Amino acid sequence: MATSDQPDPLLSAPPSPFFTILKHSPTGRGPRIGRLTLPNRDAIRTPHYIAVTSRGAVPHLSQDNFARLTNISGVYVGLEDFLERASQRPPPLYELRASFPTPDSALRRFTALPDCTLCVLGARRTPPVTAPAANPNTESTVAVSTAVGFRHLSAADYAEAGETLGADIVVGLGDIPYGRALGSKRIEKATDRTINWTISHMKLRQQDRPQDPNQPKLFAPLLPVPCEKQSFYLDALTTDLEPSIAGLALYDLATLPDLPQPLTPLPLLAFLTPSTPQTLLHHIAQGVDLHTTALPTTASEAGIALTFTFPAPSIDPIAPHPLPLGHPLTAPENATSLTPLSSACPCETCTNHHKAYLHHLLSAHEMLGWVLLQIHNFSVLDRFFEGVRAAMDAGTFEEECRRFGEVYETALPEPGARGPRVRGYQFKSEGPGEAKKNVSRFKVMEKGREARSENAVAVSDSTAEAVKETEFAEKEGGNVGA
Amino acid sequence: MSPAEQSPSALTFDLVTRCTTTKARAATLQLPHGPVQLPMFMPVATQASIKGLTPKQLEETGCKLCLNNTYHLGLKPGQETLDAIGGAHKLQSWPHNILTDSGGFQMVSLLELAQVTEEGVRFLSPHDGTPMLLTPEHSVSLQNSIGSDIIMQLDDVIATTSPDHARIEEAMHRSVRWLDRCIEAHKRPESQNLFCIIQGGLSLELRKVCCREMVARDTPGIAIGGLSGGEAKTEYCKVVDTCTGLLPEYKPRYVMGVGYPEDILVSIALGADMFDCVWPTRTARFGNAITNTGTHNLKNAAYAYDFQPVEEGCKCTCCRPPSEGGLGITRAYIHHTTAKETVGAHLLSIHNVYHLLEMVRQAKTSIIEQRFPAFLKAYFAKLYDGNKTKYPKWAVDALRGVGVDLMIEE
Repeated sequence: MATSDQPDPLLSAPPSPFFTILKHSPTGRGPRIGRLTLPNRDAIRTPHYIAVTSRGAVPHLSQDNFARLTNISGVYVGLEDFLERASQRPPPLYELRASFPTPDSALRRFTALPDCTLCVLGARRTPPVTAPAANPNTESTVAVSTAVGFRHLSAADYAEAGETLGADIVVGLGDIPYGRALGSKRIEKATDRTINWTISHMKLRQQDRPQDPNQPKLFAPLLPVPCEKQSFYLDALTTDLEPSIAGLALYDLATLPDLPQPLTPLPLLAFLTPSTPQTLLHHIAQGVDLHTTALPTTASEAGIALTFTFPAPSIDPIAPHPLPLGHPLTAPENATSLTPLSSACPCETCTNHHKAYLHHLLSAHEMLGWVLLQIHNFSVLDRFFEGVRAAMDAGTFEEECRRFGEVYETALPEPGARGPRVRGYQFKSEGPGEAKKNVSRFKVMEKGREARSENAVAVSDSTAEAVKETEFAEKEGGNVGA
Repeated sequence: MSPAEQSPSALTFDLVTRCTTTKARAATLQLPHGPVQLPMFMPVATQASIKGLTPKQLEETGCKLCLNNTYHLGLKPGQETLDAIGGAHKLQSWPHNILTDSGGFQMVSLLELAQVTEEGVRFLSPHDGTPMLLTPEHSVSLQNSIGSDIIMQLDDVIATTSPDHARIEEAMHRSVRWLDRCIEAHKRPESQNLFCIIQGGLSLELRKVCCREMVARDTPGIAIGGLSGGEAKTEYCKVVDTCTGLLPEYKPRYVMGVGYPEDILVSIALGADMFDCVWPTRTARFGNAITNTGTHNLKNAAYAYDFQPVEEGCKCTCCRPPSEGGLGITRAYIHHTTAKETVGAHLLSIHNVYHLLEMVRQAKTSIIEQRFPAFLKAYFAKLYDGNKTKYPKWAVDALRGVGVDLMIEE
C-alpha cells in the first residue's frame, strides 16, 4: 500500500473535499482507506457500513435508542417505503417538505434521524423485493414495492424527490433489474435508459440550485455487469458527467475489475447484501468504501448475538475451532447465565443486561429482545470495521483476512428464534398455495379444550398431590426464600 | 376464622395531604427499591419488559414502579430460573420497584377451563395440557422467588357481572381464607409487602364484610379487586367509594386493572391511590395515542398527513421537539410505522405511558395545592372540548358524591 505522503496521481487527483483517499494499494485497486466529509455531519472513515432502514428506522431501534446507544454513522433509506399513498395525493413526506424552508430536511425530520448521521437515499430498499414480471421497468419508470403493492416511480419524480427531500447522498436511478439477469439486448436498453435518466437528473440539478452547497451528492449507479458491457454509459460518465458525479453505486462485483481509471477516485457505495463478515471482507478487499448491510438486523431477528472480531483472536489450540460468528441466545445454557452477551463488549446491552434476560425475552417473543440485540450487534460491526481500518493502516489487512477465514465458521449459526412478523413489503409472494410466512401464536385454547376432554375424568378425580408435577404448580418447588 | 398475627411490613406510608373537598390523598410510599409518589399509575411489564422499551426508556417516563405478571414469569422463565438468577429485578435490570399479581387473574381470564376449589385454582398447562394446581402457597412462593416489592394474595376472582350471588359470597370468604394461607406462606415479609385483595363483587354488603375481615389481618397495603371486568361504571364507583370509606387511612389502596384516564381520576377522588393497566401499551401497538383530548387512532388515514406531534405540548421523549432534546415524532410518522415496524409501537408506548404517569402526577400536585376539584373540571372540559352534555353521567354522579360538580364552573 502507498502512504498518503507519497505523491501519486490517485491520492492527489480528487480535489473534492467530500471524499479523500488516505491510503491505497500501489495498483490503485483493492482495499483502501478514505474519509467522507460533509458539512454538519460526522466525518466517516471508510471502509465503513451504512445501516439499512425500513420505513425510516433501523428495525427495532427507536430513534432515541439509535441516537444514544449506537454509533451508526450512516443510514440508507429506500424511497419506496414512503410512496404507498402516491396514487391519490403526493406522499406525506413530500407534503412535509413543502412546510420547511430549505435547506431543512423533510426526510430527516420525518424519520427523526440525528443531525450528525449521514443519510443516503435510493429508490428501492436493499435488498429489494423482486418486481413481478408483469411490472418491469419502462423507458421512464422503475417498478417499486410499496406497502400496498408494486407501482411505477418515474425517473423524473425520483430525481425531483432526491434533490429536495434532504438526503446527503442520492443514488441516481439505474435500470437495475433486481433478481433478474441482464441479457445482451436488455443491457443495451438498460444502458440507454440509465444514460437518459442520469442526464435528466443532472439537468435538474443544474437548473435547480447549481451553487447550493447543501445540494445532495449524486452517486451514479453502475449496472450489474462488467464495465465493457456498459461502456456507452461509462463513457458518458467519464467524459461529460464526471465532474458532477460524487460517487458510484455498485450492484455487482463483476463491474469492478475493468472500472475506468478516471472513476476510481470516487467513493464506492455497494448494494451487495453481504450476509457474513467474510463477504464484507471480500467486498472491502475489492475496494468498496461504503457497505450497505442488514447483517446485524438479520442476526438480531434470528436471536443471534454476534461475537466475531477483526482481527480474529489467536487460535487457542485446545479450544475447538473454527469459532462461531455468533451465539444463538435461545440455547438453553443461557437461561441462567448472568454474563454479558460477549465479554469485554462496551455496548449498552452488555453493560446493563445479561444472557439470561435475552434468553427470556427471545423465548417469550418480547420485542425488547430484538432491541437489545440490535444495540449489541451494531456495536460488534462498528468494532469490526474499526479493526479493518486499523489493519489496513498497519499493512496487515490481507494477512488478517486470511486468518479470519481460518478462525471463524463461514456462516452464521442457525436461527434460534422466530423473528418478528414478516410484512408484505419484505418478501415476494410466490403465488397460490404458498406456506404462511407468520405462524399463528394463539392456538392454546383449542388444544386446551381437546386436552380437557381427554383428561376430564382424571382432573376431577385427582387430588392436589397428584397434579403438582409441573414447574408452575409445583408445591415444594425451587429454593423459595433462600 | 381468627385474624392472623400482625403482618410485618416493608413499607412506610407518609400521608402528605388530604384533599379538603374529595376523598383524594397525596402520599409518599417508601418501598424497598425507593420511594414512590401516590396517587400513581403503574405500567405493566407482563413478561419482565414493557413492550419493546428498555428499562432506561421506562425510567425516563418517570416510572418508579412497574408490574410483572406472576403467571407469565412462572411459565417463562420459571421459578427455578428466577431463583438461580436472583429474582425479577436482576432478570430485567430494573433498579426500581416491582409489583406482582398473584397469577390467579390470568388463570381465570386466560384459561376458560380453570376450576377453583378450596385448595386453589386447577387448570391445564397452556404448554402441554397437563393438569396443574395454583394454591395460595404456590403463588406466594413464586412471588418470593420473583422478589417483587409488593406481592398480591391469591384471590378467588369472579366476574362482577356474574349473577350467582352465592358463588360471589363463597369467593369473598374463600379469598379471606386464602389471605390467611398467603400470610402463613410468606417467607420474606421484611422485604416484600403482601397486599390483600377485597372481593365481594358488586354487593356492597359483601364488600363491607370483606373489608372488615381483611383490614383485621393488617397487611401493609390493600387492593380492591374483581373490578374492571365490564361492570357498569356507576356500580364500580359505589364499590370503590364504599371500600375506601372502610379502609385505614394510613395504608396504600390499590384498585386493580384500572387504566382509562377518567376512571383513574374519579377513583383518585374516591380515595384510591394506585392503578395498573396494560391498556396504554397494548393500545399503542394498535396505533392509539392517549391524549388530553381523548384517544386517537393514528392508523386512521386522516393522520397520514398530520405533522403535529403525537400530543402538542407533551414532554415525553417522543413528542418533545428536537430543540428540547426530544424526537419530535409526528402523528404522520406513527401512522407510517404502526403495525409495520416495531419502533412505531415503541414510540407510542413511550408517549402513552408518559401521558398517564404525567396525568396522575399533575393530579397529585393539584391535591397537594388544594386545587384538585378545579383540576378535575379542567380535565373533563378539555377532554370533551367544553361540551358538558358529553360528560359521562357515572363520572358526574360519582364526583358529585364527593363534593365536585363538574356541571358548575369554578
